[in-house]
Parts: sequence; structure tokens; C-alpha cells
Amino acid sequence: MAFFERASPALKHILLQLYSADKPFAVEHHLHEFGSLQYHIQSYASEPHHAYLSVSTPLLSTGSSILCELPSSTMETVTRICPGVVEIVEPPRTGYQLTLKLNFAKIPRKKDAAKIITEIASVHTVILSSQLRELLKNVNDQEITQGTYKPIKLVYHQREPFYVVKQPEKLTAVFPIRIKEDSDVVIAKAFFQELVDVGSSGRFAKAPACYWSAIPPAELRGESMQDLSTNGGFVSFEIMARHVEGKKLEKTVWNLLNFNALVKYHVKCTKGFVQRRMRSRLDSLVEALQHTNMKEDEDEHIGKVKGRTRVKKVMRFMRCKVVMRRWNLKKQIKRIRSRIRIHGFGKFQRRWLKLPSFSSVMRYQKLEKY
Amino acid sequence: MDSSFNDDEHMSVIMKRGSQGSSMVSVGRAEDCSGNIAILRSLVRIRQLFLNVKLKGENPLLTQLDPLSSTPFLFVLSMASSLRLYLTCIRNTLEAAMCLQNFPCQEVERHNKPEVEMKTSLELLLNPVVICRNEAEKCLIETSINSLRISLKVKQADELENILTKKFLRFLSMRAEAFQVLRRKPVQGYDISFLITNYHCEEMQKHKLIDFIVQFMEDIDKEISELKLSMNTRGRLVATEFLKQFI
Repeated sequence: MAFFERASPALKHILLQLYSADKPFAVEHHLHEFGSLQYHIQSYASEPHHAYLSVSTPLLSTGSSILCELPSSTMETVTRICPGVVEIVEPPRTGYQLTLKLNFAKIPRKKDAAKIITEIASVHTVILSSQLRELLKNVNDQEITQGTYKPIKLVYHQREPFYVVKQPEKLTAVFPIRIKEDSDVVIAKAFFQELVDVGSSGRFAKAPACYWSAIPPAELRGESMQDLSTNGGFVSFEIMARHVEGKKLEKTVWNLLNFNALVKYHVKCTKGFVQRRMRSRLDSLVEALQHTNMKEDEDEHIGKVKGRTRVKKVMRFMRCKVVMRRWNLKKQIKRIRSRIRIHGFGKFQRRWLKLPSFSSVMRYQKLEKY
Repeated sequence: MDSSFNDDEHMSVIMKRGSQGSSMVSVGRAEDCSGNIAILRSLVRIRQLFLNVKLKGENPLLTQLDPLSSTPFLFVLSMASSLRLYLTCIRNTLEAAMCLQNFPCQEVERHNKPEVEMKTSLELLLNPVVICRNEAEKCLIETSINSLRISLKVKQADELENILTKKFLRFLSMRAEAFQVLRRKPVQGYDISFLITNYHCEEMQKHKLIDFIVQFMEDIDKEISELKLSMNTRGRLVATEFLKQFI
């Protein structure tokens, strides 16, 4: 599960292309989204205003039982997306859970067309959220049967299952958080801390109560150790009846389904933000170091030549070089340093002016290693 | 006041003498730290100031802030001043240590390597100095005849600061070529290390180089605090937006 937009962008693009095509053409597309969703789109040249859309979602499971077929309530919701335009084909295409026949001729040629196609492209959300929607609808149900408190495990992604525990007048959704990298866990924990703080503030008194704990909450007692071993702790939301009233139901369902994706997205964005900050700081630090350069002062000094305002002439001459060039000191020094040869002085020097040899000034007395 | 000031050892200077094993460690005494006279002078000055204030009884700010006890005010003052003293101490030590000269290797002909790294001749190494602000924050200055190595340990108060510090300093170390004086790998037990050779001292201005090191230390602390703050702010904003959708 990693989608914040309800409509699949690729599917929407293909459907819009088919809808706006002047001439009918045969098309067959296979799409895979997030590794678990599959779409198959087919249109024939013989049927100019029709297209067939098949959808396969990850198997929804509630603990042991696996749902291979979509429930009737979900089918009804799908047909209600756009009556007349969408028609369910029975049986569905092999390998897919649902096949829809789309009639483009019935879509009005106005601005609404894009809206209707967007709704068709978000058909997977209807299928995925059907199970949780059914559970949340019955939050206010006062009938408590035996075993109601047992947590229901919802698996939308193999590595990210979550639990829903039905309690009197409320429903608790518990998310075990598993994150690969240790540094990401710290960022996620900081986020959960903020989430709990914000949730407990008076401004969000009407929002679902939010809790975070490093150890599994009491509601999950009895679950397998493998499912309860996490590195990011457990986040719980208490959903009351007021959170699923009318249009809020869809939002609540979608928010809960996307919570794991939201956490991961936040961690990723925060890392990007930190990286950007570090880059900008690196530049400022490098700039600070460049100010230490010795040449800079000289360049600045020489660069401020009056007379030319537009072009700055940067001359990189050392001060000693300038003096040498001006006074032609090289020749003078050479002349001073040149040897004066006196016949027989060498022999005299060797005999009478011999200096005793010393060790190098640059050498220190050797210490023994311990 | 006097006793509380002595007990509050935020600023401690540890000097390790002799790398031959007979190391002597002394903490925060004027007699022991001959190289850090400026700090000790300022410490003494602050202490005298406090004593005078107490004797004369003219401290309206202190009484206004906390009429029963002077501890919170003193704590704030000591925390702020301890950073300044810590940085001043490092600055003074660097000024004293940064008198480097070209010196070829004594062991290998035509080799000219930083002696602080190679450690081929013990006579070319000076005593390393450790300057501690507290247990988590310290600075090691190792000096030799032709090179100087400065290693820093940055404070990490919690998990978030820990990962931010690691990330940031690793990021800088990976880009060590941009800083000429930064070491690619920090010395063991420290977070980041600088290596300054005599060539750097020839190319750069000494006092500006020291300024850079001190500025770097200040910037790192500031940057990590800001990063932590902005991360929390981002988290709060995201949490607010998420919970808004339920209302």
C-alpha cells in the first residue's frame, strides 16, 4: 500500500486517451502498480465506444480466511461509480477479480468527463477499502457477540498488516510499525511523539485518540510473536461513531489504509530535507574556509585598481615577484653571490679554515621507543 | 556561592602529559594548565565578580529572577559561559600549537609526511591535549613538528541528535576534498577530525584557520539544534494535517 491519490495516474491517462480518440483503435495494456495491483485494459476496433478494464488487487485476508471473490456490497459500490458507463462483466477475466465494461458513448462531452474517468481510475480504492469500510460501518453496533474483542488482522501488504479490535462504542486500529533502517526508526518515533502530542491537544479533541507504545498494547494479547515483533512500536487510533458518519467514512477508511505509507513518506521527505540543509551548510562552511586563503587578500588589494570599473583585472603576483621585476634584483643578487676566485685560496682554506662538522640543525636527538 | 561555583565543573581542562605511558592527568587547576592562562584568568575574574556582588548585596537581577535560590540563574550563566570558555580554550591552545614547520621524514629519504599521522619519531611529537566541556563534548589536539590534528566530539543528547550528528558529520567527511583540512576518517572515539599541515599554514592565514575551526564547532552545534527543531516542526505539521482529515 503506497498510494495517496485515489485515482491511478497511468490508468487515468490511458482511459482519457481512449475516450478522446477520434478513430477507434485496438489497445491492450497490462499495468502493475506497487507490486500488488494489476490492471488489464483492452479495446477493440470493432467496438468503437467500449473498453474492458480488469482489476486484480492483493488478496484481502482476515487472519486465516482469504477472500478470493469480491463481496456483493463491493460490487454494488462499483456499479454506483457511474451508472450506465460502468458495467460488471461476469465472469471476470482469468487472473483478475473484477472486469468492467466501459461505455464511453454515455460519458457527457463536457468537463464532467474527466471527473467520471478519474472516478473509474480509482476503482481499486473501492475494492481495497471494502473490508475496512464494512468493519467501520458497524462501530456503533451495540451487539457484542462472543469473541468480538478478538483482533482482526488485515493484510493489504505482506509486511505491513494491521489489526482492528472492535470494542463497545469504539473500534481500535493498531498499526505495528516495522522500518528497515535504524535512523528511519528514530525519525518515525519523533513523528509519533508529535502525533500523540497534537492528538491530545484541545484543538483535536474531536479527532480519534492516538497512542504510541513501544510494547504491544493489551488488545493484541495472544497474537503470534512474529506479528508483534517491531522496531518502531505500535500506533493505535480509537475510531468512534462520529468519525464514520456520512462522507467521513470514506476519508477515515482511506486515512487508515494509508497510515503506513504516510509514515514512510514522511520519513523519506524528512531525510531529503535534512540532506538539502546539509548541502547548503556545506557550501557556507567551504566558503568560510576559502576566506582563510592567503592569496585572497593580495588579490583583493590588487583588484581594486581605479580607472576601470567594468573589468576587474585579477593579477596573481606575489609581492616579492613585483619587487624583483621592478628593480631587476635577480641580476644584482647573482652578482653579489658569485664567487671571487683567488688563486691558491682553496688550499689555504682547506688547511687553515676548515670548520668542524656538526649534525644537521633540522635533526633532533633520537629518542628510543618504549 | 563560592563552593557552588567550584562544584559546578562545566569547564574542565585535562592535559595528558607524556605519550610514553607515564601520563599525568590534572583537572582545572591554574598551576597545571600553563597553556590556558587566559581561560583561568577569565574564570578567576567571573568568580571575583560573583564574590563582590555577593558581598555588596547589589544583585537585583538575581533576586528578581529567583528570590529563594540563585541556582537557575547561575546555571544559565555557567552554561552560556562554559561554551565561550570552551571555545576560548580551544582557540588559545590552537594558537599555541599551530607553529608548524617543514620537516622531512627522518626514517625514509625523500618522504615528507605529517608526523602526527605517521608517528615515526617520538621526539617530533608534542603532548596531546584534551579539552573537555563535559563528558559528551571534548576536543583532542595532537601536535607534531609539521602537522596538527584536531579531533572533536560533538554532544548528542538524545537519539535524534545522535543520528543527525552522525549523518551531518559523515556527510562532511565524505566531502573532505572540499575542505582542505578535514580528515576523511575521524580519530577513534571522536566524531570528526581535522589535519593541518605546515603547507596549510603556508597557504592559509593562521588566525583565520583557527577562526574557521572555532566557527565550525559553533556551526555544527547550531546546525544540529536547528535540524532537530525543524524535524519536530515538520512532524507536528504532518500530524496536524493528518488528524485534521478526521474532523
